[in-house]
Amino acid sequence: MPPITRYFIKSGMIYFVLGIVLAFYAELPGIRTGALLLPVYWHMLVIGWLTQIIMGVSIWMFPRTKKQRQNIQSFPAVAAFWTLNTGLVLRFLAEPFIPLVQNGLLFNLVIILSSILQVASVIFYLIEIWPRVQTRKRPVRRKT
Amino acid sequence: MPAQTIWMIRLSLVYFLISALIGGLLLIHKTIPLHPALWSLLPLHYEMAIWGWMVQFVIGTAYWMFPRYLKGEIRGPAKPAWWMFILFNTGLLLLLVSFLTTASVALAPAGRLLMMASILLFGYLMWNRIVSFKHHDH
Repeated sequence: MPPITRYFIKSGMIYFVLGIVLAFYAELPGIRTGALLLPVYWHMLVIGWLTQIIMGVSIWMFPRTKKQRQNIQSFPAVAAFWTLNTGLVLRFLAEPFIPLVQNGLLFNLVIILSSILQVASVIFYLIEIWPRVQTRKRPVRRKT
Repeated sequence: MPAQTIWMIRLSLVYFLISALIGGLLLIHKTIPLHPALWSLLPLHYEMAIWGWMVQFVIGTAYWMFPRYLKGEIRGPAKPAWWMFILFNTGLLLLLVSFLTTASVALAPAGRLLMMASILLFGYLMWNRIVSFKHHDH
């Protein structure tokens, strides 16, 4: 398992726990978060957990191109991890407070940066995985 | 990697990108209003993320990686696998179009029906491949 896959899976498991804890908290009687936490825990579960597990395992298991075999931890894979997780952390810290902050320039920049980082991570992941979605060429056996 | 898997995974990656772009715009729209019609794209965002991206990726990968048959076609008959891919994506497309049109045609249930047929085919194709190899001679 390449180190970047470990990062993806362990980070995914942290979001899995955080997501379910937050979903539990939002359901507690007397807690009135309304729709504030709903997108947070859904994105923790769907992007933070499930998508990261898919990304990490596919980067590990999918057949590598000849060029990629020389470097199992390529730049797009590492960039996908860091852009996704930075984008998610910024999102989860800022999103619940959107209704409370009116026209805060710095706050708006954080939201825009988080959005760009999340989309960038998808693009980096696509650059890594698209050429690896291929038929594995079987080595030709020599007749003896 | 079989051709059906290649098609399913590549389409799932396309859906992932489109869903992320819509999601990114929606997040920004929460703080800086971009266009009033943007919220109508919310169902497209999550249907593409869940069905187009995750489910399709998992189905395609499972069809490729699960234990293969030792005799005959290694992943079972190819035609039902092609139908699984076609029905899933036609169904999903109908479902997505249903969110964009106000015409009172039954696009959403038709889409879900085709996706259901695809999942049933997936079950049919995979059921006998969910095995342990301990009783087989290697």
